[in-house]
Amino acid sequence: MISLTNFLVLGAALFCTGLYIVMAKRNAIQVLIGIEMMLNAAILNLVAFGRFDKSANGGQIFALFAIVLAAATTAVALAIILNVYRRYKTIEPDKIDQLKD
Amino acid sequence: MTTPITYEETKMAYHALAAVVLPLLAFVVNCFISKNKAAGWVSTIAVLLGSCLSIIVFNHTFNGADIHVGGVWFTVGNTNVNYGILLNNLSTIMLLLVNLVALPVHIFSMAYMKHDQHYGKYFRYLSLFCFSMLALVIADNFVLLYGFWELVGFSSYLLIGFWHKKEVAVLANKKAFIVNRIGDIGLLSAILLLFNQYHTFDLQQLFGQGGLVQQAGNQTNVWQWVAFAGIFFAVCAKSAQFPLHTWLPDAMEGPTSVSALIHAATMVAAGIFLLGRVYPFFNTTELDILAVSGCFTAFMAATIALTQNDLKRILAFSTISQLGFMVMAMGINAYASSLFHLITHAFFKCLLFLSAGVVIHEMQHIKDDNKLDIDPQNILYMGGLRKILPVTFIATLIGGLALVGLPLTSGYLSKDGILIQAFEWSDTKGGAAIIVPLFMLVTSWLTAFYMARLIFKVFFGNCRLDAVSGIKFHNSDRDWRYWLPLIVLSICCLFPVFSLNPVLYEQSWIYKLFSPSNFLERMNIYHTIIPVGLNIISVVVIYYAYAIYIRDKKFKPFPQHNKMFALSHNQWYFNSVYNSLFVKPVIVLGNALFWTDRTVLDGFIGLLKKITLTLANIAAAFDKYIIDGLLHLLTQIVSYIGNFIRSFQTGKVQFYLASMLAIVVAWFIFKTLI
Repeated sequence: MISLTNFLVLGAALFCTGLYIVMAKRNAIQVLIGIEMMLNAAILNLVAFGRFDKSANGGQIFALFAIVLAAATTAVALAIILNVYRRYKTIEPDKIDQLKD
Repeated sequence: MTTPITYEETKMAYHALAAVVLPLLAFVVNCFISKNKAAGWVSTIAVLLGSCLSIIVFNHTFNGADIHVGGVWFTVGNTNVNYGILLNNLSTIMLLLVNLVALPVHIFSMAYMKHDQHYGKYFRYLSLFCFSMLALVIADNFVLLYGFWELVGFSSYLLIGFWHKKEVAVLANKKAFIVNRIGDIGLLSAILLLFNQYHTFDLQQLFGQGGLVQQAGNQTNVWQWVAFAGIFFAVCAKSAQFPLHTWLPDAMEGPTSVSALIHAATMVAAGIFLLGRVYPFFNTTELDILAVSGCFTAFMAATIALTQNDLKRILAFSTISQLGFMVMAMGINAYASSLFHLITHAFFKCLLFLSAGVVIHEMQHIKDDNKLDIDPQNILYMGGLRKILPVTFIATLIGGLALVGLPLTSGYLSKDGILIQAFEWSDTKGGAAIIVPLFMLVTSWLTAFYMARLIFKVFFGNCRLDAVSGIKFHNSDRDWRYWLPLIVLSICCLFPVFSLNPVLYEQSWIYKLFSPSNFLERMNIYHTIIPVGLNIISVVVIYYAYAIYIRDKKFKPFPQHNKMFALSHNQWYFNSVYNSLFVKPVIVLGNALFWTDRTVLDGFIGLLKKITLTLANIAAAFDKYIIDGLLHLLTQIVSYIGNFIRSFQTGKVQFYLASMLAIVVAWFIFKTLI
């Protein structure tokens, strides 16, 4: 029997990995991947907690919503990235710093 | 004026006023035609008309009542200061005399100054001078009198320094001006003191018959003495009396015709005139002081005149000496005789100076024509001029005899009068007072000697320029403008002008002018013995001079290196004594003050400057480092904070995320810890 703690530890590890990727990667696509990993960590936690709600399976429902929202968000983010690339000829977030001044 | 004025009096006053204003008019006209040769005629005609007018005025007022017209000039507080004319015997005879002496001088000047490039300017000054002297004479109050007194001093300053390119002339006119300033201060103080005491400037109210001064009686308080000292100094300065006589010999640097005018009836006579005006003011002790001072001046100047070599300087010292006679005569109460001598002296001194002018003119021509290097005024270069300048010779002879006081001349009448009265005065005084007339006697003999020396040196013997062969002469006195004044003045030096009796001064009409004329009764032996003794010894002295200078030149009684000779030749060292007594200390004081100013005052100011500078520097540093530093610190802090905050705004998404994360983590740690 895999305990809840193991799921939560895995979720935390996934979240941290995603967070690291978001902060460290130079490519916007990879950042997007990092965000997906953090979302997945959250979804994993929802599913893990969902086991304790046998009657309504609220955790799983939340997870489905989150997956749908993540897909939509990713689509929007991809559209932004494409537009950014068109404008700046790069998708490295480091080099897109014209908001600064 | 309190008493009503008759028509005749008004007319005379206007005549007198016209006589005074004419030279002023000439002065104004000459200001516009200064380049024109007519200037001389303008001035001369003004004086000629003035002379005619003053003769009329004199004839009318002769022994008549005083004419006093005028009005209020201005009012200060309750004091009215008047303008006006006071014509009494003293002022009318002075008016006449000044005009009569100025006239020949003017005529003479036209020839004498003919080649001067400032001919017009000369006559301008001369007219101004005549105007101020004439106005001084008829002024009726002290304010006007003082004003014209100053103007006389100023115009004489202009005339003495007429040749202003000659440095000695400039020094001489400065000296005359400054010495006269000392006297002016005295006169001003005396006027103010008199005003303080009597509350009026009016001369007639003060000194007239039964005037305020007479009512006050014989004053001996301290202010009387101070006022006397003031008047004394004024008289000393104007009339060149000891101790303020040193300017007059130096004033010989002016044109000779000017010297003639200044010495005769005008400038130097002003002092005697002032004495005459304020005469009732003096108490007996003050009169004695005047007598002694006049006596000393007369004697001193006569001894100096013995050894001078400059023709004009001899005459200048002679003037000082004769003015000493007049002052002494005032002092011994011989008021009328003093003025009588003033009048006779005016004519013969004017004559002598004009003759000297002819001689100097001749010598200047000889010098220029023969290209000699001589001083045209030095009598040692002259000699034998009587054949070349016959008119001048006769004129000088008459003037000289009058100056010595030999019978048949006017000088005899006035001078012997003074001497007789001096002896009578010393009788009434008794004791040591006899010194005064004795010294005056000696002075008279000295006069005889120096005049004889002058005439013998200049006109007799052989020409001392004989060494120069083929000398050319100019014959200066052929010009009528030279000989006419000389002849007219010569006639005025003879006795008939003043008295029908050539030997008895008491019968002169002058004495009728000034009442009371005392010492006129022939009450004792003095009236006979003094003129006789005086003149016999004078003739002996003249013969002695003849023996020394003409007959036997080997006869040299005067060692030229004697102390007495040096004393006389150096004018009793008055100039050097004054120089070391007054001039040098003043210069030393001036230098000391200059040093004090430079080192002490400037040093103190320099110190102040340094202190201020240091303080300012400290303040500047405080401002720069503390105040500005605080502000800069503030701005630094603000900008640091700003930069710090700004550093978060990198525009990098990942950095924002990281900082957000850091803050959230920090927040959690913070919450956990507390």
